[in-house]
Amino acid sequence: MKLPFYINNFLSETGSISRFITRFFGQLFHPRYEIRQFIRQCYLIGCLSFPLIAITGFIMGLVLTMQLRPSLIAYGVESQLPIMVSLAIVREIGPVITALIFAGKISSGIGAELGSMKVTEQIDAMEVSGTNPFKYLVVTRVLATTLMLPLLTVLSDVISLYGSYLGVNIKGHTSLQLYFFQVFHTLQFSDVLPALIKTVFFGFAIGIIGCYKGYNSSKGTEGVGRSANAAVVISSLFIFIIDLVTVQITDILGLN
Amino acid sequence: MQSESNISIIDTQEPVIKITGLKKGFGNRVVLDGFNLELKRGESVVVLGRSGSGKSVLIKCVIGLYKADEGEIFVLGKKISELDYEGMDKIRANVGFLFQSNALYDSMTVRENLEFPMRRHLKNISPEDVEKRIIETLTHVGLAHTIEMMPSELSGGMQKRIALARTLVLNPEIILYDEPTTGLDPVTGKEISTLMTETQRLYNTSSIIISHDMKCVQRTADRIAVLVDGVCYAIGTYNELERSNDEKVKQFFE
Amino acid sequence: MANKTGENVTLGFFVAAGVVVLIVSLYLIGKNQSMFGSTFHLRARFENVNGLMAGNNIRFSGIQAGTVNKITVIDDTTIEVDLLIEKEMKPFIRDNALVNIGNEGLMGNKVINIIPSRYPGGIITEGALLLSKSTPYPDDMMQTLSLTNDNVEVLSGDLVSTVRRINESKVLWQILNDTTLSEGLRVSMSNLREATVNINNLSASLNSVISDARAGKGTAGALIADDSVATHLKQAISNINNASKESLEVLTKLDSIVSQTQTDLSHGNGIANALLKDPLMVDKVNASIENIQKGTTSFQESMEALKHNFLIRGYFKKQEKKKSKAKK
Repeated sequence: MKLPFYINNFLSETGSISRFITRFFGQLFHPRYEIRQFIRQCYLIGCLSFPLIAITGFIMGLVLTMQLRPSLIAYGVESQLPIMVSLAIVREIGPVITALIFAGKISSGIGAELGSMKVTEQIDAMEVSGTNPFKYLVVTRVLATTLMLPLLTVLSDVISLYGSYLGVNIKGHTSLQLYFFQVFHTLQFSDVLPALIKTVFFGFAIGIIGCYKGYNSSKGTEGVGRSANAAVVISSLFIFIIDLVTVQITDILGLN
Repeated sequence: MQSESNISIIDTQEPVIKITGLKKGFGNRVVLDGFNLELKRGESVVVLGRSGSGKSVLIKCVIGLYKADEGEIFVLGKKISELDYEGMDKIRANVGFLFQSNALYDSMTVRENLEFPMRRHLKNISPEDVEKRIIETLTHVGLAHTIEMMPSELSGGMQKRIALARTLVLNPEIILYDEPTTGLDPVTGKEISTLMTETQRLYNTSSIIISHDMKCVQRTADRIAVLVDGVCYAIGTYNELERSNDEKVKQFFE
Repeated sequence: MANKTGENVTLGFFVAAGVVVLIVSLYLIGKNQSMFGSTFHLRARFENVNGLMAGNNIRFSGIQAGTVNKITVIDDTTIEVDLLIEKEMKPFIRDNALVNIGNEGLMGNKVINIIPSRYPGGIITEGALLLSKSTPYPDDMMQTLSLTNDNVEVLSGDLVSTVRRINESKVLWQILNDTTLSEGLRVSMSNLREATVNINNLSASLNSVISDARAGKGTAGALIADDSVATHLKQAISNINNASKESLEVLTKLDSIVSQTQTDLSHGNGIANALLKDPLMVDKVNASIENIQKGTTSFQESMEALKHNFLIRGYFKKQEKKKSKAKK
């Protein structure tokens, strides 16, 4: 059975990503636990991404509000603006935009970092120095992205909603209290929780793809660049695939 | 080979590294095809071979970075294919590895680079001891002033010395050098070679050196093993091999 | 080490901020969904839940009282809705309360209203089944609205033609303007009424006289023999003659008046006749016409407003299209 090159390539890539994920879970629950490194990665991945995510979140909320306003006015439901914007932000735009920005910043960063470590034998050096590089580099990073992205999304959502509040106030007027009352009155657990849960998977995908690409980087500086690039592309694609799957699952569970 | 797997007593005459019938391939390409080598205590053996002949693969098999397909490797009396992760770690604490590309962690300072293997391997070491050893080894390689610098601020030769210092902080019994002078200018190469022989004398180490820099080989080698087509084609001292009439050996000495 | 501590502090702050925001948000949302307060269950059955969903609000006399927990289909005509009600509402809800499904605003979410009964009832128990009250569905409402709309169209068309005819009638306006005519008419009408009464009396007396004469056949000869009686009788007959002449005259006069009026009102119709009889009536009719006019303008306004409502706009657009097609 001879498969065309690209199908063969795709399948072998899928297979090795699955194997990489299995390896991740295998290593995750066995000591030793690299807690210091994990905390450091949380700082590097979470805190240092916050400004970027805050800015994009703010702009997203503001722009979305200003874009939606004319059509809502046309239908005479301008007062529904906070409701529509908050639903859009919390359910879809917040998680996905945050994840994409995060993938752009973190997945490529991890891909390039691990790639160059691989190429310059730092990963081997770690192994020789009595450290399981998979635990030290991969597990900590993947855990950090998995846990930090939901946090970033929550903060980004709130900042987006504040941006949207300002957007409402550019041409209309509403008090912050009334705005947030409307928003929280509209939002339900079925809006927030699936969105939050999917960000966990987004974070995991971003981390694992970045690490996979970096860890399996081919020799040479070109390989490092390619890893970083592929990490962003594949993890962005994964975000949308996960998004698609989540929307179907929540639909089946009747949470939509 | 069955009879050898029961060896457990280490006497002084026992080689620190014994490689028998080592085979290793990547995909369809066979790199090592039944390689044999013994390294005695206090000895330094240079493995000579062309690029891509599998020299690096050989020492990476010794340290456990690659798994041998066939054959056995005994390091300090332990059969490494039978070791679990913990056991391998203990071996690695006694075997230093100097990487071709130095492999200094570029996100860490020189001090942190040296601290890293100590914190990992020697779990009960006191901070004072750590500091003492760092200063000691850095002084040995002549770079005590760079302790707070980042690897990227150092020159190639300095990086090589720091990398050597990093393997030395653990006081290893064996050091594996992967092309230590490649990519350095002849003067620095000579300095590194000198440092290697001094290290061997001071720290009382045995070493396998992968190289094709003949000047370095001449300075450091007690014995030379010529790796051709995945096997140990010839073994002997520098002078012996230099006088050899074999075409495959002669080409390295021209 | 100092900068590591700094990093840790920043990370701690970041994580704490995220977690706090998350918890506060969840709490705020949870407050709406009564997930964290203590609750109890009630049930209600409907034939059609109109798109009610789990999580929709429940109002008790307009107060937020809980959320819809679960909707299960029991059989082809029954859907059971499980209601999650806040405990603090329990003392106020009686077992004879009614539930219906309403809307939060015209296009808002569905909402379940619990309507307390006017009659006293027992205290509600956990899991009790409340009686449901069917509500008109928006579709039916729209259908009725469209029917009403058609009727109003016909009605206002008639009204317009009536008013136009009244406006165009010159004679009617003359009559309405000429006060003496109506005064005279009233006098002659009252005279006429008096005359008729007189005639009535007269003919009644005549009748009695004749019947008397007929009844007393035996005495009639005696009476005839009696001269005085005969003369009296003669006189009486001539009187009768006179009276009937007079009444004939009155009748002719009446006839002429009536015919005159009839010719005067040859353009008028039923309403105009009624108008003739009383000027007060005229004022009243005027006022009602004015009212109707006001009514139609405001109706037109509301229809216009309705047309602009985006929900119903499609319907009107369709109507317009139909109209334009019909014109073609």
